[in-house]
This record gives sequence, C-alpha cells and structure tokens, in this order.
Amino acid sequence: MTDTLHAPPPEDIKTDEMFINLGPQHPSTHGVLRVGLTISGEMITKAVPDVGYLHRGTEKLAEVRGYHHCVVLTDRWDYVAAMPNNLVFCLATEKLFNYQVPERAQYIRTIMCEMNRIASHLLFFGTYGIDIGAFTPFLYAFRERELVLDLFEQICGARLTYNYIRIGGVMVDVDDKWVAKCREFLEYFKPRLKEYETLLSYNPIFMDRTQTVGIISKEDAMTWGLSGPNLRGSGIDYDARKFEPYAAYDKVKFDVPLGKTGSCWDRYNCRVQEMYQSVSIVEQCFEQMKPGDFMAKGVAKVPKAPIGEAYAHVEGARGNLGIYLVSDGGQSPFRMHVRAPSFINLAILQESLVGKKVADVIAILGSIDIVLGEVDR
Amino acid sequence: MTQDELWAQLSAAAPKAQKIDAGVKGYLTVKLAGEDLVKAVTWLKQHGFDYLDMITAVDYSSPVEVKGFVFDPNPNHFLPEGATPQIEAPTKTPGFTYRDAMEVVYCLSSLKDRLKVFIKVEVPRAAASVQSLVALFKAADWQEREVFDLLGVRFEGHPNLSKILTPEFIQGHPLRKDYVHVPDKFD
Amino acid sequence: MGIILEKLPGVTSALPGGELLLTTADTVIDWGRKSSVWPLTFGLACCAIEMMGAYASRFDFDRMGVIPRPSPRQADVMIVAGTVVKKMADPIIQIYHQMPEPRFVISMGSCANCGGPYWDSYSVVKGVDKIIPVDVYIAGCPPRPEALQYAVVKLQEKMMKMKLKNGFGAAPQQEKGSRDITA
Repeated sequence: MTDTLHAPPPEDIKTDEMFINLGPQHPSTHGVLRVGLTISGEMITKAVPDVGYLHRGTEKLAEVRGYHHCVVLTDRWDYVAAMPNNLVFCLATEKLFNYQVPERAQYIRTIMCEMNRIASHLLFFGTYGIDIGAFTPFLYAFRERELVLDLFEQICGARLTYNYIRIGGVMVDVDDKWVAKCREFLEYFKPRLKEYETLLSYNPIFMDRTQTVGIISKEDAMTWGLSGPNLRGSGIDYDARKFEPYAAYDKVKFDVPLGKTGSCWDRYNCRVQEMYQSVSIVEQCFEQMKPGDFMAKGVAKVPKAPIGEAYAHVEGARGNLGIYLVSDGGQSPFRMHVRAPSFINLAILQESLVGKKVADVIAILGSIDIVLGEVDR
Repeated sequence: MTQDELWAQLSAAAPKAQKIDAGVKGYLTVKLAGEDLVKAVTWLKQHGFDYLDMITAVDYSSPVEVKGFVFDPNPNHFLPEGATPQIEAPTKTPGFTYRDAMEVVYCLSSLKDRLKVFIKVEVPRAAASVQSLVALFKAADWQEREVFDLLGVRFEGHPNLSKILTPEFIQGHPLRKDYVHVPDKFD
Repeated sequence: MGIILEKLPGVTSALPGGELLLTTADTVIDWGRKSSVWPLTFGLACCAIEMMGAYASRFDFDRMGVIPRPSPRQADVMIVAGTVVKKMADPIIQIYHQMPEPRFVISMGSCANCGGPYWDSYSVVKGVDKIIPVDVYIAGCPPRPEALQYAVVKLQEKMMKMKLKNGFGAAPQQEKGSRDITA
C-alpha cells in the first residue's frame, strides 16, 4: 500500500490564493466591520479593512444642531464608553466659551469617566474571551458590568447613552446614597479583578494564543498613530490624562500601565491593569470631593459661541479622543471634527495582519478593541 | 521646549511660516504655504514631533447648505401641512471671514515635550490639493482618505486615495458647505 | 418537515374533520417554533451592546429559548439592533433573504424604527422597514434588555397565531410590507 499521506502532491494540482470576506455580518468583528482577506493556504497575504458600514454623518449633523444638542450626538460614537465622549465635547466647548467648571463637577466627571472605563474594559474582557474561545469570562464580566450600569442608571436614567456631562458641569449632583453604593461596588469589584486574572489572564491556552501574536513594535505604533492601551501595550507612555490633565486628573495619583512587547496579551493586560487604576482614581476622588456647585453659572440655554477654534482631547477607553471645533459665531458649530481613536487604531490592521495565520485574525482584531460607532461616526 | 521656543526654531527652519494668534486656543498654530508642508513636517518630525494626531479640513465658503440634509417636510403628523420648519438654515454672522477657500489642519504631538502644534494649509476650493504625508506618517493614510471622501481635498502622492466612509452612490463630498444631497434609492 | 408543511393542508382539508387535525398540528408546530426563537447575532450599533446584555448573566435570554446563531441560515429572527446606514442596507437585504422562512424581524431602537437622532442625515436609512418587513418595533435609544425580551414575548404571541392553512404567514404576507428597492 502506498503512503498517500506523505506522498508529494500530484503535478497537476492547482494552488491559488483565496479571497475571504470577513464581515460585515460576523459575530467577531464587534459590529459591522468588513475585512477583505487574501489568503494563501493558512497565511494572510493581504488584508483590506473596509469601514463605513456605520457612517452616520455626525460631523455634518453637528453643523445644524445647537451646542447642547451636539452632546446627544457624542454619546453614540463610542457607545461602550459614552462619558468620555460627552466630556471631550464639553471640554472643547468650554474652551471656546471660557466657562469655568466648578471643582465638584470636575471630580464627578472624573468619577464618571473612570467608572465608564471600567464598564468598557469589562466588555472588552468578556468579548475578547469569546474571540479566543473562552465563553465563561463573558458571563462574569457582564455580571459586574450590569452593576456599573445600575450606578449610571441611578444617576442619569440611562444605561448606555448618558448625556450626563453637560456644557459647564454635569446634569445632576451625586448624593451620599449614590456615593455609598459606588463605594460598595468598588469594594465588591476589587477581589473580582483578581478573579479575572486567574480566570483568563494567566490561563495557559489564552497566553499561548496571545503572547506571541500580533506584535506591534514601538516604531509601528508611533507611525500608525495608535493611542490608548494599544500604544501603551507597545511600551510608549502617552496618556492624555498625564499629557494635559483635564477634569481632576491632576489632583489624583495613578500609574499608567505599560506593556513590554506589544503583543495581544500586553494590550489585554494594559486594560486589565487600567481597571485597578480606575478603581484607585475613583476612591481618591471620593476622598477629595467637597460639596459645592455642580454647574457653572451663566451657561446660556441657546449658546452663541464667540468666533474661534478650540481643540480638546481626553483619554477615552479606546485611546486619545479629540475634538476640533470651529465656531463662526453662530448657534451651532461651524465645523466639528472628531479625532476618533478607533478609526486610527484600525488602520494598522492592513499591515499587522499580513503574514499571520487565519486563526490569529480575530485575536489581533479583538485586541485592538474597536467600536464601530467611533470608527465610522 | 516651550511653545515660544518651538516657534522661534520653527520659524527659522521654515521662514515663510506665519504664526496665527487667533488660532486654536492654547496651542501654537502655524500657517504654511502648500509647498512648505512636507519640509516643515519633516523638520518637526526630526525635532520630537513624531506623532501625528489628526488631519482634517474646514470649508470656509459659507454657512452650511440645508439641502445637504435629508428631511421629511412635515414630520409631526398632528400638525397642519408645513407648520413646523425643521432645521433653520444657519445665517452668515458678521465678523467671520467667509472665503472661497479650505484649510487643511494638521495636529502633531511631541510626547517628550508634551506639546502639540497645529499646522494649517490654505487651499482654494476649486482645486483643493496638498502634498500627502503618508511617507512620513502612516497614520495619515486613512485620515487623508477620510478628508478626501468627506471634503474632497486631493492628497498628492497618496497610494490609495479612494472613498472610505460613504457608499459609492453618494455623490459629492458631504462635509463641503455647499453639498446638496441627491436622493438615492433609500430616501 | 417542509413536505409536511406544504402537503398536509391540502391533504387533510379534503378529509372529514381535517380542519381539526390541522388546528392540533398548528398548536404543536407553533409551540415548537415559539419555544426556540433563534436570532441572528447581528449587531449594528449601540443597541447591539444592550442585546449582548440581554444574552448575558443578568437577563439570560437562554431561558426563553433564545440562543444566538452566527449564521443567517440557522436563524429564525433577525434583531436589527442599531442604525441602518445606506452602505449597510444592501448586506441587510441579502442577509434577510438568506434566512429560511418563516423569518421574523425585530426592529430594535429608534434608529432602526425611524432614523432616530439621525433623522436628517444623508447616509442613514430612515427606518429598516423601508427595506425589509418588520414584525415588532421596540422604542428606546437604546431600549433596555427587558424591552427586547418583551419584544420576543410579543413575537411568540404572534407565532402562536400562525396557521398551517395560511402558509404560516410566510413569504406572501411577509413580503407585502416590503418595498422592492432592488428593482
């Protein structure tokens, strides 16, 4: 009997490159991303991300909405972490109008952004587990995420799209009951974070699938303009909270977790470590917060901005989120541009997927942690 | 390095550059001629500004044209025909210089010095084109495509300047102020 | 199963008492259908996060027999969770036609209902019912997971009213509401 298994392939066998369409409807693209993959065997020879399947024209709509109405639009870019979106628009507008935000509002903003970062990273933690093949972390992460959403719901009535941070301050003040509930959550959450590390971070299968995969060098990360945990995973210390402190970030102490090699695991670990830092920031804010106003005085109902330009940027859950506003003196922004971190982070995919195995595509895509609402706006 | 030191060095390197005092609040804003752009950005990149934050463009022609939006003439069916004006057309405000030009805006960061610098290049609307920065920063790739798609600025030397966000059948560049929406099969 | 569904009404209605047999069969088949509503994992925008929340720990959609399927070929119901933009409209029509009949559509959230906050945008389809027929609409921006579960309860009520002799409300009735925009 001839050895068919190890025989050389017949002469007339045809080998060809194959085109695979990943998305726009695919459970692991986290939305409606389409990637055109050309593969040769198991290796990817070309990857062309195709975005725009959620392009809603927000930048155009802002040109006919009032400044207060624009805050509503901002919620729906990065819908997993909407508070930093609210905040960055309000910061840019406040720069334009020269509003002085009261100190208590600054602390509340910081608390909300950090709590939202926890909620967002928990979602990443859960879905990245699914991407790799572990379903259980998803259920654990969503259990805790619901508790964070309950806190948001109690304060502003919404679970995802908050519209809580307003121009000049915040919508309502936080009361003692809320603070007590939030502290209770933090106490509950700290041991859970340790549980996650045992559940997923140091799981040998998970480590094997991520630690040597999708390595992005420092140079690549810089030239592609990555930001957030993707940039910090490669070991570059760039965090808008330290670069130009906004809200109350100059009054609290925190570390910026950095990765070493820039692999998928490093990016993942940066996010998990950031959750520890967020817990610490929120606790410090509770210690330092004093009673006072939560809204600036003299914020107009229908504001007419002075002529000028402003740029504000914050560290959103996905990276450096910036807003460039131009005002012609009218009731609505003359031009609003969003520096969307997901959009810029996603561009690296066309380079980082080439030469990788098909099985690693979702591991790399998931570790970049995009939100399509922000990619396409 | 502070903003003033940066401006002193930059103006020596690119003599034609102008500093705009009424630029982006709190940041150094520099206006460059189109042909100096690549030279100045290369200089900046060598002097610590090795992170491209954003590329965008602004159309200064006029307030936005309402026909660029899609709307049902009377969305509130409980009101008589035509009773609710939907969106008010923004009017020209005195004091702002509307002109037949676009500005391409670049933002570069120096992570070491914690500085950001804004660079503006003014181009005519009819033949809007500037040099591409893809050779210097790969981050420029998609952002230039976005600006091309939404505002119609051509980037000379870009390897793949094509639509990125809007579908094929949307005609024109939606973020231009005079964009008029042509109803398509979904309206 | 397909043969039974197609041939049974014609055969039994000719028999004496055949209608009774049909009603009994209806109840059993409808009960089976409503107890395993398999939606397509198809998230578009913000509402998809609430849809994930509905599948996850607290709300636990599984107890209603709702188990997400990644392929349209295996799905009964499509939850359109989020803004339908014009670039995505053609893939949605394609996915809808890939689903086996009878198929159902839940329009989740303001954007899928009527365009929501993007009612004047140049690139948003003002309601998914402009391109495919919709069975249940959910209001909200985004709706809560409970609202989605209530929509599934409503859909199950609709399923229990389906009749064999009406062809289970399949193609002809469903297509009635749709606008053939590919023509």
